[in-house]
Amino acid sequence: MKFLDLAMNAATSLGAEYADIRIQKTTDQVIYLQNLSLKHTNTEVLHGYGIRVFKDGAWGFAHNNVFNDEAVLATVQKAFEIATLSATVNKQKKLRLAPERSYIASYKTPVKIDPFEVPLAEKIDLMMEVNRTIKSYEGIKQALFYLVQHKDEKLFASTLGTRLDLMNLFIDPMIIATAVHEGDSQSRTFDEGGRAVGWEWILELDLIEKARQIAQEALMKVKAESLGAEQRRSLVLDPNHLGLTMHESVGHATELDRVLGWEADYAGISFATPEKLKNYRYGSEIVNFVGDNTLNQGLATHGFDDDGVPGQKWHIIKDGILNEYGSTRDTAMEIGLDYSRGCNRATYYFDQPINRIPNLYLLPGTKPLTPGELIADTEDGVFIQGRGSFSIDQHRVNFQFGGDFFWEIKNGKLSRPLKKIIYKSCNPEFWNSCDAICDERFWRPFGVVNCGKGQPSQSARMTHGSAPARFRNIRVGGSQ
Amino acid sequence: MNSEKILNYVKQHSNADDWTLHISYWDSHETRFAQNGITQHIAGPKLDITLNVSYGTQSGSATVNQDDETTLAFLLKTAQDIARHAPEDPEFMPSAAYAKLPVVQNCDAETKALEPKQMVELVQRSIDKAKAFGATVSGMTEKHFGQSWMFTKNGFVGNSERTDFGHSMTLKKAEVETKVDYNAKAFAGFDLDKDFGRLQAQAEALAGMQSFDPQKIAVILRPGALQELLWFMGWMMNRRQSDEGFTPYTGQLGKPFFGEKFSWYSTLKRPEMVASPYNGEGVVSVELPWVENGVLKNMPTSRHWAKEIAGTPCSQYNMFIPGGEASETQMMQMVPRGLIINRFWYIRTVDAKAGELTGMTRDGVLYFEGGKVKHAVNNLRFNEIPHEATRRILALGAPELASAYSLLPAMLIDNFNFVDKTTF
Repeated sequence: MKFLDLAMNAATSLGAEYADIRIQKTTDQVIYLQNLSLKHTNTEVLHGYGIRVFKDGAWGFAHNNVFNDEAVLATVQKAFEIATLSATVNKQKKLRLAPERSYIASYKTPVKIDPFEVPLAEKIDLMMEVNRTIKSYEGIKQALFYLVQHKDEKLFASTLGTRLDLMNLFIDPMIIATAVHEGDSQSRTFDEGGRAVGWEWILELDLIEKARQIAQEALMKVKAESLGAEQRRSLVLDPNHLGLTMHESVGHATELDRVLGWEADYAGISFATPEKLKNYRYGSEIVNFVGDNTLNQGLATHGFDDDGVPGQKWHIIKDGILNEYGSTRDTAMEIGLDYSRGCNRATYYFDQPINRIPNLYLLPGTKPLTPGELIADTEDGVFIQGRGSFSIDQHRVNFQFGGDFFWEIKNGKLSRPLKKIIYKSCNPEFWNSCDAICDERFWRPFGVVNCGKGQPSQSARMTHGSAPARFRNIRVGGSQ
Repeated sequence: MNSEKILNYVKQHSNADDWTLHISYWDSHETRFAQNGITQHIAGPKLDITLNVSYGTQSGSATVNQDDETTLAFLLKTAQDIARHAPEDPEFMPSAAYAKLPVVQNCDAETKALEPKQMVELVQRSIDKAKAFGATVSGMTEKHFGQSWMFTKNGFVGNSERTDFGHSMTLKKAEVETKVDYNAKAFAGFDLDKDFGRLQAQAEALAGMQSFDPQKIAVILRPGALQELLWFMGWMMNRRQSDEGFTPYTGQLGKPFFGEKFSWYSTLKRPEMVASPYNGEGVVSVELPWVENGVLKNMPTSRHWAKEIAGTPCSQYNMFIPGGEASETQMMQMVPRGLIINRFWYIRTVDAKAGELTGMTRDGVLYFEGGKVKHAVNNLRFNEIPHEATRRILALGAPELASAYSLLPAMLIDNFNFVDKTTF
């Protein structure tokens, strides 16, 4: 597209040390069904471009939605002017960009069935059937189905000579059944957090069967008892639940911009500071976390990030030791790295990209271990499935998590369903208490599509994954 | 961008039985700084055009961000195609009809005219002050000018303009971290010297932190902390969700469910606060008590649910909590010991039906005893039910602007439930 060259030539002429342009078209189709009533059926297309100019150790970023030569040139000029203004402040604290080569490449999320080509009526028919299935259970008062289909089409060019043509897509179906019984109300949710796949995934999921399961479990849950006072117990966590736990307590803690204090005013900083690299025991020896923006079906698998850096795979925690961060071109140099791990991503065209969690997962155990064997080996504990309440401090140390469904474990068996369970722990206690991880046969990916961060706030997506794992001696009990 | 042109296009080309058109335009400038340098600097306009159409009780909508004829044709076709394929909606509501809207003043010419250079100078001055104090500062200075319109086939015509200025600063000196945050519709009320003075005073008070174990204890919630807590409580206060049994407010309307010292209003009468004249459904903003002297008076109600229950639709368009006259010093003298909480962080629902929330303190906790601040303490986690906490209110301060939408006081609450602590 001619605007790529126009913008880069203009930025170079103005004196930019580096510049890039990202022309981005984001298409979202959201369908929200509540008790057989379509509350929201919307297709949104946001199309525009963001231009970054780097000058004298500072950024300027300007965006626009008008596509003509005059508007593109004016946007370059604005980005240059505010970069120049920023540089007057950064005289003693100049940012630097890690070296990167140029690429001419394209990437598209592999899909068999484009979800945007599936007739709306087919989607709504499925959603209505799922809603009816849930509502058919006596005691269920609310059935929700929230379906998001999202596509980003990007053309990226930089003054390094990079030219990228990217298309990323994901689908995220979420179903909720809510039961009311004797003054209480409890929900059970089917939510795998989205996946970078086509409509074929929806067809594989058997959502009618999932609807039956969550309706039955919502009824079990609302009639279940809670635990009494908090006690130290074993926790067995399913991969879906662990997805959010690792997101909050490992993913955010190892974003290099947080480590540097760049998020101090809003999202917070990190306890995992650079002097801990290669020596800090973050977890037990079986804990290995990998950042992997090449993961098949991963939500952060975009081919390249918004710095024009290709997707990579690296150990963030290796054999329990803090190994490396997720980084960007401008954060990497601050700790003496001469390369970026490719974690710079923006949400929409009007967002300046920021340091994001990559696809991040816990490697499975190396010894054969099934979930059944793990439960059988646990005398007194709680098995948590799915995601619930979650809260963590701004240094990513102290946290409290709930879940979506709970079983008490007694003498190696799931003895009874529970509700209103929370556990409290902190870094590094939690990951050091991990004493068993099921093997690779039971490893599952789960996405996060609403990771909020930044000022102005942006919402990013990434995939996490694990096999079921056990954590010993954790404070677990009923709420309050 | 020309709202009339967009409206005329829809009027001329739509064959739907009914439609609602929303147009929103923002021009923003945001300068983000961290650790005494600028890390991000963003400028540009945003446009959103959303059209909702219906045929009978089938409806659909589409959103675009450009206003040329090709894009508007796409907008109309997409919304109409969705509506034609949608099933009949048992909860369908026709678009809002003509309504007389309240006159509000949410726009400030001086704020709209702020230049990037002025904003960068604010950042530079903030950094200079931090350096002089031997500290680092991180934050954001931002200004926004927005216009919005809403039109319906049934004759609703709404438009409003607003400005927004914000300047936040998080200061770090040794182990101390603390924050002040200014957000209002007008720049004129902002005084950097005053805000930094407050930041510096907070930082000085927080030096020498001592370990403190979680427990039930009296707290003085400063307006910033109270705002965070009440925002979540307000989010759960939904009439339909309550009527259907999902919230703690089920069956409580008209009853003294809160403490009698607690009242909560949305108001058009406080010129310092932003008040939207109507919400996205076209519900007109009026003076409303949500809670008055502890009695639950109203809950936000959609147009559909209002029809179901033969009630009146209403929405929370801002948060005004009337206060009292107690100063922080007087509050400290009213209880033997307690904590002063500057802000909360990462509040989430633990039990929606019970209304139980969890969250952390942030940016400074002070321990007081015998009417005086003794020392700073570590941050703490709470698990608390806010509506029950209002029954333990002992005193209220004078209301302050905590954000453009919130005017609320400091609040002394007894036996606030802290359950865990962190290491800093």
